[in-house]
Amino acid sequence: MTASDLQRWSRDVAEDPGSPSFVPLARAYRRQGRRDAALSVVLRGLERNPEHVDAHALLALLHVDAGDRERAGDEWEMILRLDPRNFDARRGLGFLALERGDLANASTHLNAAAESRSGDPTVTQALEVLARRKKGGQGGAAPAAVAVAPLASPAPTPAVPAADDGRRDPTRLFDPLGREAPFLGALLLDGRGLVLAGSMTPAASGDGEALGALLSPAVDEAMRTVQLLGMGGWEGVMLECEGAALHLAPAGDGVLVLAARTGAPAGWVVRAASRARDLARGFLEETG
Amino acid sequence: MTDAVRAALQRLTRVKGVRGAMVVDAEAGVPVASELETGVQETALAALAGSLFRRTQDASTASGFGRVRSLQLESAGGHLFVAGAGALLVVALADPAAQLGLVRMEAGRAAGELNA
Repeated sequence: MTASDLQRWSRDVAEDPGSPSFVPLARAYRRQGRRDAALSVVLRGLERNPEHVDAHALLALLHVDAGDRERAGDEWEMILRLDPRNFDARRGLGFLALERGDLANASTHLNAAAESRSGDPTVTQALEVLARRKKGGQGGAAPAAVAVAPLASPAPTPAVPAADDGRRDPTRLFDPLGREAPFLGALLLDGRGLVLAGSMTPAASGDGEALGALLSPAVDEAMRTVQLLGMGGWEGVMLECEGAALHLAPAGDGVLVLAARTGAPAGWVVRAASRARDLARGFLEETG
Repeated sequence: MTDAVRAALQRLTRVKGVRGAMVVDAEAGVPVASELETGVQETALAALAGSLFRRTQDASTASGFGRVRSLQLESAGGHLFVAGAGALLVVALADPAAQLGLVRMEAGRAAGELNA
């Protein structure tokens, strides 16, 4: 997936929530750890495409991510009504049954999954556990090794400095730039104007998050301007405002906003924006 | 075209790499005066520059960063400068290799003089 793919899918879905792009867009959001955004996109897409098997499969995984096994099971059941041999649904329902200790249903679904796709290591492992449990006559809960959790993607690992407790903190993505006096902060915003990473220092007179949200029409205008004037792709906009020097640049499907003190040298602003873009790119690659 | 406007535009267009300059009515986005290379669409440039400046102005003011004094749009094919502090905007279109420092300085100076 490239930034331009994400941009295209976002545009398609903005124009038509039922566009075929809604599934890859929701998948991309899930990989970025943006579950709510993924859920919103997939639910709106399913309103218009209620029999879209891949969308139901993705919705099941989003429910797994949230620990909601019951809803995940409902989605997999729905898929089986549409496609009785569906591997993802059979595997998911097999794992759920194994978790519940329902060995008969676990056997039915896992064997069907193995027939549908032989050699899948998670199904093979679950079938081995199932065989041991049947042999041992145990009917209790399944061991952790075959819990539904393996279906969920691992948590994103942002390329950002760690917080004091060792966890990564996306608000500190641009901390390396904070050693230079003119720097007031930077924010990485997604295509809807929501902050993905970064922060503004208390010295910034304005509200960077509000600026990001309010700037969407201006960014659209900038893109339209360079297109209509035949200037090639837009690379950035530098604004000298009364309260700060601001630099906006495209980043992924969103925008990177950098703020510096009023009167900061223009060349420094451009170079700092370039360094911020490198940090943002690394963050998007690691989380996307 | 008044002498002051003409002089401001001529100073800008003398800077190496500048393809043209114009004075635009900030509110309406229409050209007041221009010195442009052949092939540059005067009306479109004025409308786009005016609209872009107004939108960024609105966003900056509403989010507490104050009024925009100047704007520089960077692209692979060149730079668009817009400077303004009142009813008139000074717009300059420059090549990628233009002397950006001089363009910024002259555009800012011209905007200050025109809106004094």
